[in-house]
Amino acid sequence: MAVETLKFLPWIPLLGAVLCAICCTSPALRRLAGAICVLSVASALALALGVYFGPQSQAALSGTTVHALRWIDVHSFSAGFSYYIDGLTMIMLFVVTGIGALIALYATGYMKGDRGYARFFFGVCLFIFAMTTLVMADSLVLLYLGWEGVGLCSYLLIGYYYDKPFAVEAAKKAFIVNRIGDLGFALGIFLTWTTFDTVSLHEAIEKARHILEHGGEITTAMQCIPFLLMAGAFGKSAQFPLYVWLPDAMAGPTPVSALIHAATMVTSGVFMIARLIPIFELSTYALPVVAIIGTFTALLAATIALTNNDLKGVFAYSTVSQLGYMFLGVGVLSTTGGIFHLFTHAFFKALLFLTAGSVMHALAGQLDIRTMGGLRKRMPVTCWLMFAGCLALAGVPPFSGFVSKDMILHDALARGLHGEPLFFVLAIAGLFTALLTAYYTFRLWFRVFMGPERFEMGEEHGHDEHAAHDEHASGGHGPHEMPWWPMNLPLVVLAIGAIAAGILAEYVGGEHGWMHTMIEHSTASVEHEFHGELFGLSLHSVMVVLSLLIAALGIGTAAYLHWLRRDAAGVLEQKFAPLVKLLVNKYYVDELYDLAIVRPLRGCGKFFNLIDDYLIQGFLVQIVGGWGPRLVGYVLKPSQSGRLQSYGVGMAVGVVIVMVILIFKLTGN
Amino acid sequence: MPTQSFILPLLVLVPLIAGLVMLLPLPMFNDRRNIFHWALLATLATFALSLKMAFAFDFHGPTFQLRGLTPWVSQFGLQFGWGVDAISLWLILLTTFLMPIVVLSSLTAITERSREYYFWLLLIQAAMTGTFIATDIIFFYICFEFTLVPLYFLIGVFGSGDRLRAAAVFFIYTFTGSMLTFAAVLYVAYHAGWNFDIEAMYGAARSLSGTEQAWVFLALMAGFAVKVPIWPLHTWLPLAHTEAPTAGSVILAGVLLKLGTYGILRFVLPMCPLAVLEYAPCVGIMAVCGIILTALICWVQTDIKRLIAYSSVSHLGFCVLGLFALDRLDIGAHGAVMYMVNHGLSTGALFLCVGMIYERFHTRDMEEMSGLGRSLPVWSSFMVFFVLASVGLPGLNGFVGEFLTLLGAFCSPPEVLGMVYAAVAGLGLIFGAIYLLYMVGRVIFGPTKLPHVHGKLNDLSGREIVVLAPIALACLVLGLAPNLMLDTLDNSVAQLTGPAKSQLPAAVVQKEEGTEAPRHQGTEGLVADAIGGPWSLGASVPWCLCLDPPVPSSEVSR
Repeated sequence: MAVETLKFLPWIPLLGAVLCAICCTSPALRRLAGAICVLSVASALALALGVYFGPQSQAALSGTTVHALRWIDVHSFSAGFSYYIDGLTMIMLFVVTGIGALIALYATGYMKGDRGYARFFFGVCLFIFAMTTLVMADSLVLLYLGWEGVGLCSYLLIGYYYDKPFAVEAAKKAFIVNRIGDLGFALGIFLTWTTFDTVSLHEAIEKARHILEHGGEITTAMQCIPFLLMAGAFGKSAQFPLYVWLPDAMAGPTPVSALIHAATMVTSGVFMIARLIPIFELSTYALPVVAIIGTFTALLAATIALTNNDLKGVFAYSTVSQLGYMFLGVGVLSTTGGIFHLFTHAFFKALLFLTAGSVMHALAGQLDIRTMGGLRKRMPVTCWLMFAGCLALAGVPPFSGFVSKDMILHDALARGLHGEPLFFVLAIAGLFTALLTAYYTFRLWFRVFMGPERFEMGEEHGHDEHAAHDEHASGGHGPHEMPWWPMNLPLVVLAIGAIAAGILAEYVGGEHGWMHTMIEHSTASVEHEFHGELFGLSLHSVMVVLSLLIAALGIGTAAYLHWLRRDAAGVLEQKFAPLVKLLVNKYYVDELYDLAIVRPLRGCGKFFNLIDDYLIQGFLVQIVGGWGPRLVGYVLKPSQSGRLQSYGVGMAVGVVIVMVILIFKLTGN
Repeated sequence: MPTQSFILPLLVLVPLIAGLVMLLPLPMFNDRRNIFHWALLATLATFALSLKMAFAFDFHGPTFQLRGLTPWVSQFGLQFGWGVDAISLWLILLTTFLMPIVVLSSLTAITERSREYYFWLLLIQAAMTGTFIATDIIFFYICFEFTLVPLYFLIGVFGSGDRLRAAAVFFIYTFTGSMLTFAAVLYVAYHAGWNFDIEAMYGAARSLSGTEQAWVFLALMAGFAVKVPIWPLHTWLPLAHTEAPTAGSVILAGVLLKLGTYGILRFVLPMCPLAVLEYAPCVGIMAVCGIILTALICWVQTDIKRLIAYSSVSHLGFCVLGLFALDRLDIGAHGAVMYMVNHGLSTGALFLCVGMIYERFHTRDMEEMSGLGRSLPVWSSFMVFFVLASVGLPGLNGFVGEFLTLLGAFCSPPEVLGMVYAAVAGLGLIFGAIYLLYMVGRVIFGPTKLPHVHGKLNDLSGREIVVLAPIALACLVLGLAPNLMLDTLDNSVAQLTGPAKSQLPAAVVQKEEGTEAPRHQGTEGLVADAIGGPWSLGASVPWCLCLDPPVPSSEVSR
């Protein structure tokens, strides 16, 4: 298929969304929504694959602009539905539609019997439309459309259980925090327009690259653009200080957490920076700042995950943490590493969330891991699927998470060893975070699946259809394994990805591996190659050994504290009670924001409202408009008495005054 | 096309005559439903006429088309002159599009004195259309002022609660402002030899000295700024909106507020270019303050209608910002025109939605209701849709106007507005999301809590869906294909912003470098004069708040 056909890709899920919306209107059609959604996303994937394996792929896929529709044009300002197709786009399309189709398939089972079934799939379809638009966009304004669009879908889907106040709050928070970043992004687009005279992504990148290669004046505006765009990236990808919305976003249904808040949407910030890397390179400080914020967030989120007892919460913080790694990757100019980690992360984090969803589903909504234990016998498939995901997340060689994380840390370390001490520190912090990651990941896994069997069912009793389906599967109460179709089968595919995607993408396809080749044929390609040596070994070998050691240490500690000697964990918790309290309360960041930003603003609102109500409404309307004229009238009223003689006196006085003035005037001259 | 020039007066006459006929003592009008059908028919006929106008309009032709003229009191140069350019065309379409919807929405809300009610509705339509087709400033002013009367009665008779006070405040506030506008009109007309034709007025006003222009500017703005309303002249609006009947609110937010921005675009910008440059930063600051402060005020409202009323003030701040951007490509002005139409659609629809809730619950207090999504799913879907349009979600109409006005302000020359204005106004995007989602979270989501209802609570009826669906469709179309409108605006907008832009220092320098370009008459003198405007704002304009002090124009032109 010709590359041009890709322009139809986003519209397929949109069509699906329209159909799902129609399904919402009638209970009879409602059941069809799931199938419609899976089909539309799968056909989008098929289209992407068809184009990728099409006859003229290689040349066309390394940078083609496809125009579809006009959108906003004012004189030379032109932002249309035009798409830019290159290696990076294709990777992202595969992730979005591929993982999206698997998760949608899983969701058809997970959401079965829910009263908002059609509404859910409407949201998912709309999300895939917005996300594919985001990754394919050539115009920055179109990118912004996708950017806000995914934010909307995230809002709608987090607030899916809209009668729960917590979900509504979380949805609102997500949208608003994202909006803060989006303002930065919008201003970044404005500044790009005034600086580069274009909002077309590839034209701006070409101009930036021209300056990079041939030299040229780098203006202050060019220095500023990356920082504005960065704000948007940090909002969408939940980086410090805008990360607070993501953990709360887990209020949505689990497939949503897997799709939007782990695999795809939250990575769009990383994608955006990788996409615009030449523009970021123009600025002296932009990329180091990205790297610092990324590493800091990775560390911060990992520490919070250490003590979190919420099944999805741990994975939420781990997502924030892993996104931090990706930012470290693009920040050290290792775009391949950053995007690679995005790619593998999509597999294993989706897998982890969905297996967590299975556990939650089996336990009727129970999320507290302190109430769980030894579920491996009841849910063996889920147990081992999650194990694969955990190994990948913990960065155990040769699982996919290791391969990509290793690339990032390796590049950071290599730059650190080449006289950029900042990156050395960041790489060390990254390694330490890896240790924490291995620990908290397996803490959760051991808690849930190992040790003596125990569980408490949650409060969700499920709906009628649900209950029937539950009893079928387990023949009684208590947790049970999920059915293979449609739930466990997609998980197996994800697990294969979590195990092997890293190795395959690193070593198969092309001289430097598939991933490297794809990134090289994209706007994200960078000139730099990093190599280094440590202790006489190549840095790669050092990293493998280090990663193994770190993972072993983390997993070992977790096994000791949360499987073999659970009482020891309790003792440790007692010992570090204040620290644990700080971590459990997430460093009180939410409270701080509330105190420092939300309350003052609301106070301002109340204050100005009072001014409006009393000062202007009361003073101007009542006094100036009401009492003033009345007072004038009251003072002047006696003069209008109707008595002829007083009018006569008045007239006489007037005449005298006029005469006096005239006389003075005349004599004065 | 001599026959087609009758389309425009017909747009005014059809509702006017239909309204007057309604007052005749015909037996047919004793039935409430007949009155309703008559009004609906009249507004639909007008909409059809306006579509005919749109098709008769040649978008590649001259700016003003379908012109016509009829003398009135020719001894004093008074006449009715009409014509449309692309800007007024779109606003007329907005008006005629909204009116049948407004009529349709009133069927159940108005059960008494409906003859009077629909009469005033038709009359206000005639007046609003009249302001948009006028090419003669007296005609414009008459219609502009006449919109007050029907609305005064609509609020005062058919409003709720404190309606008499609201009507009085509304009337006096806006009337006071427009008296000053009238003074300016007379002053300029005097210089134009009592010729009220718009082109003659432009010419006369532009040849005034800087000081005079500044006074004319302030006087004209007095009327228009109250109408828009620009902060801090907005305080009549929440009151009027809250107490007005739904139809009144829709008309007020949908079209009447646009008379202010339309007036600024049509008269202020081309008539006093020097003063516009002089005062643009002040107006910009007021617009930005309005965007942010009223957005914060919205956040603490508990009355939904009041919240949306305040949001109008906040939203129109963007529009004003776009009008005064004067950027090279007119992006801001394009955005502002787009914004006028978009705001009319989405805010009008929000008021309609709130009206439907009020009809059911007889309350608009957010504290009394929650979780309506469960019991009124169709209504909630529409409400969320229009909220998203209002929040400026890309793909829906609100975004285009918001984006372009902000971009315009951002690209605006540093002497006029500039990046800082756009950046601060951009906070309005965040606050807009905060207060609107706060409302959605309060009213539509959350655990179900319903105020006391008499009888069964019904979701939207077929009629109500027919009321909202066309607006939703329009929002979607304008959001995805804004070029339908943007492409047509180029000439009309350029003509209106051109004079002010040609006075920019950069333009003046360019002009003087180009040998053939005719020098603007006495540019230097005018600029120097402008610096001594009222309250001698002078070279240090605007007051101490000026963020980018302008290069004194006289220096540049030297």
